[in-house]
Amino acid sequence: MSMVVYQNLIRWFLLGVLSFMLVAGKLAFAGQSPEQVGAMLKAMADPAGAPFFPVVMQILQVLTWALHMLFVWTSVGGLIYAIYGFTRKEENHQRLARAMLELSKVSVSLAIVLGVAPLLFYQVIYDPLWYASANLSAFWYIMFIVFLLIGYYLIWFAYFSRQKSQMSTLFSIGGLIFLLLVGFIIHVVNYQALFPEKWVEWYTSGGTTMNHSGWNIYAFNPLRYLSLLVFPSVAVTGVFMMLYAWYFGKREDFEKDYVEFVARLGTKLAIFGGAGWIVFHILHILTLPSDWNAKGSIFTLLSVLGLLLVAGMVFIAQKNPIKMAIPSLVAGVVATLLLAVFREYLRVASTARFGYSIYDYKLNLEWLSPLLFFGTTATGLILYAYAWWMAYQAGRRPKGQVYEASEAEHHLGDVSVFIVVLWAIVFVGTGLIIIIKNYT
Amino acid sequence: MDILGFYPMWYVPTFGSAFSIAIIATIHVMASHTSVGASILLAYLATKAYKENLPQIYDYIKKYLLGLLVFSYVSGSITGPGIWFSATVANPRGISALIHNFVWVWAAEWIWFIAEVTLVYILFYTLGKIDQRSWLRLAWTFAIGSWATMYIIVGILSFMLSPGHEKWFATGNILDAFYNKNYFPHLLMRSSFMFAIAGTIGIVIASLMKKDLPENVYKSIVKTMSYWGIAGLIFGSMFFAWYVSTLPERSLVMLSGIVPKWYYALIFTILVVLLAHFVITAIRPTVAKPYVAYPIYLLIFFLGVYPEEKIRETIRKPYVAGEFVWVNQIIARDVPAKGIKAETETIKEKGLLQLNPFVPEGLRTITPENKIMAGKAIAILQCSGCHNVTGSSGLRPFGQKFAGMTSEDTVYNFLANYLTPQNHPPYMPYFVGKDEELRALSAYIADMISKGGSVSAKIEVPKQASAQR
Repeated sequence: MSMVVYQNLIRWFLLGVLSFMLVAGKLAFAGQSPEQVGAMLKAMADPAGAPFFPVVMQILQVLTWALHMLFVWTSVGGLIYAIYGFTRKEENHQRLARAMLELSKVSVSLAIVLGVAPLLFYQVIYDPLWYASANLSAFWYIMFIVFLLIGYYLIWFAYFSRQKSQMSTLFSIGGLIFLLLVGFIIHVVNYQALFPEKWVEWYTSGGTTMNHSGWNIYAFNPLRYLSLLVFPSVAVTGVFMMLYAWYFGKREDFEKDYVEFVARLGTKLAIFGGAGWIVFHILHILTLPSDWNAKGSIFTLLSVLGLLLVAGMVFIAQKNPIKMAIPSLVAGVVATLLLAVFREYLRVASTARFGYSIYDYKLNLEWLSPLLFFGTTATGLILYAYAWWMAYQAGRRPKGQVYEASEAEHHLGDVSVFIVVLWAIVFVGTGLIIIIKNYT
Repeated sequence: MDILGFYPMWYVPTFGSAFSIAIIATIHVMASHTSVGASILLAYLATKAYKENLPQIYDYIKKYLLGLLVFSYVSGSITGPGIWFSATVANPRGISALIHNFVWVWAAEWIWFIAEVTLVYILFYTLGKIDQRSWLRLAWTFAIGSWATMYIIVGILSFMLSPGHEKWFATGNILDAFYNKNYFPHLLMRSSFMFAIAGTIGIVIASLMKKDLPENVYKSIVKTMSYWGIAGLIFGSMFFAWYVSTLPERSLVMLSGIVPKWYYALIFTILVVLLAHFVITAIRPTVAKPYVAYPIYLLIFFLGVYPEEKIRETIRKPYVAGEFVWVNQIIARDVPAKGIKAETETIKEKGLLQLNPFVPEGLRTITPENKIMAGKAIAILQCSGCHNVTGSSGLRPFGQKFAGMTSEDTVYNFLANYLTPQNHPPYMPYFVGKDEELRALSAYIADMISKGGSVSAKIEVPKQASAQR
């Protein structure tokens, strides 16, 4: 086919996406002025102000979102592979399918718990965006919880029936559908939030009513959805398989043949997933409204470079996937962080149109509660270090073998118990002092 | 100031938007209290297994941990954020007020969440794979870390009811807000009752494993669960009495007058049932049966936790956060330390319809054509947090509250005298808005009553009015 045909195909494709957005987005053509939107955003920002520097909230939000997404991707990607693996007769596929199902099961738990922090920090500085968008689609927002519950239980059912591959496949498919739905809802809420100039038009259907039922969805960008959820799931799960081979490859009860199979398959998934990720990420960038001035930004460019780094790394890894597992993970983390920065940058770019900047957020600075957080984090890190290290050691032993901790490990264990107890005493003790001071 | 920071309103006829919080919160309280109680009980049992050399106890612990993973760490860990999600759409400004005050406290709780979630998996997977001493240590850190999530969240829950002291309004100090009068009794009450909840499910699991466990081990486990359960009930009841003594005046009024009496009857019933069950299983562990213990566990949900959550929600009114944000999301008093200003006077002067950015242009100025619809919008914006404003059933419905009032003047005279800053009941905000808005609200109510007490929830801006913009 000639170049012209390709160009036309791309043009029609983009037009199709745009028309979909127009329909799904119910784009309004008349609305508030930028000044009015700016005033609305400022009025919505909580009068209590942020209790700490907004930039710190922003950084923490970006970091914790990246962490959250790694497990979201392995939840979805683990299921995608499990469904495929269960339909294959070879024992290696069956065995890996069971392992990936287990990965998905644990990842959902971690994704849920890790998802709390980014949303928390985000709500402090972007409350107008989040609350407005969530309330525009309030019922769907509640359905997020319902679908997640259903999806997660389906994954558990799949896990319990993992020895019966047909049954397990069915449950896995169900689980995947619900996880994708959950992703769809959170995508919609995040996406709607980027268009403050349309909220009032959407909610009032152009001034004719109030859409208070919460059942409306106003904007969806399939390219953003595919580039932030679906393709990275495949790519990151591929990298995870490489890590799996690296970790279990050292265990005597894991056959070499199986380990190599997993490593090779992982690299292949990472390459194909990574390629799709890059393509859809770029397509997503092309759909960014021009008045955001975001297409040529350095953050946009860096996000693309991050993905290219991963693709390059897994491409090289084909020769020795096990050796390259850790470098691939590092590249994946870097790319995820750059993507998180880009995603945050879109909010900055969108809201800047209305003069909203989180750096101008009212500040009611206080030091005691951040101290509590960072103290708890220090306590937690000691505990995590001990617990995860013990888990790491236990997992390295063949089945049936008990790992005896070394003196140093026992010592670290004692320290972690001590510090957790100490922290509880400090917490309760501070409470007693304050209450005696205030109420006696 | 021509705009106040209201969000798009979500209205759920009959049930009310807050119903979603009640359901999700009840599931969460069951799951989380089971989990926190169990974490301590299991650490205790693991210590027993280690010291008395009873390795069979580990089989039981493993089953219990799996039960926790499947119930608490699915339902509990999803409904935890679920409460937050539902509050985000039922009362965005209320949850925002809490988050902007307590973000770091929640973030600290999050550190413990991660500890809890990763430790429960690690405990499950490493049981029998690492030496007992190390495992025991992990079990205790899991227990204390789990309880940490409780000792943190209780401070925020107590603040929701009341900062407990005028001081916080002046200092804005997080410690004054968090460690309020209600904190310790509330924490101790939950920390006690959780053993009754975890103990009951512990008996269910033990009785299911009866055949697989040696008799002495089985009896020891059931007795442990029962004794802790009995102690939890006794101490929980004592701390409840202390808790009540720390409640603000308005909450006491509601406890004695507004909260339905049958809620108390339900709670009393479940306490007696639980106590009787624990006493029986403590004396004769062999009579414990899963088909008795499990329904009792489910009854805790319906007779214990659900009424408790409803009561807690009721006695908080008319506020949702810190005695300054009303249940209808209007900021009702100044918080000088934070620079927060009450909005009531502004709304009274300029009108709710004018100040809410999500009111259609065609309803902002009241005209004879749009009066009924403007009234409906006001009802939804200002009253639907606690009332079904378009029907006669469900949540404190207007159809019943105003039964017989078919004339605008009757409704107006009633509201104008009842919902004033001086006369309003302690559990309800007074009406804020312009007089013509109260008139429109009255016209809407009279209209819906004359139509049989039930109308569509849809708001239609009259064509003429919407064309004006």
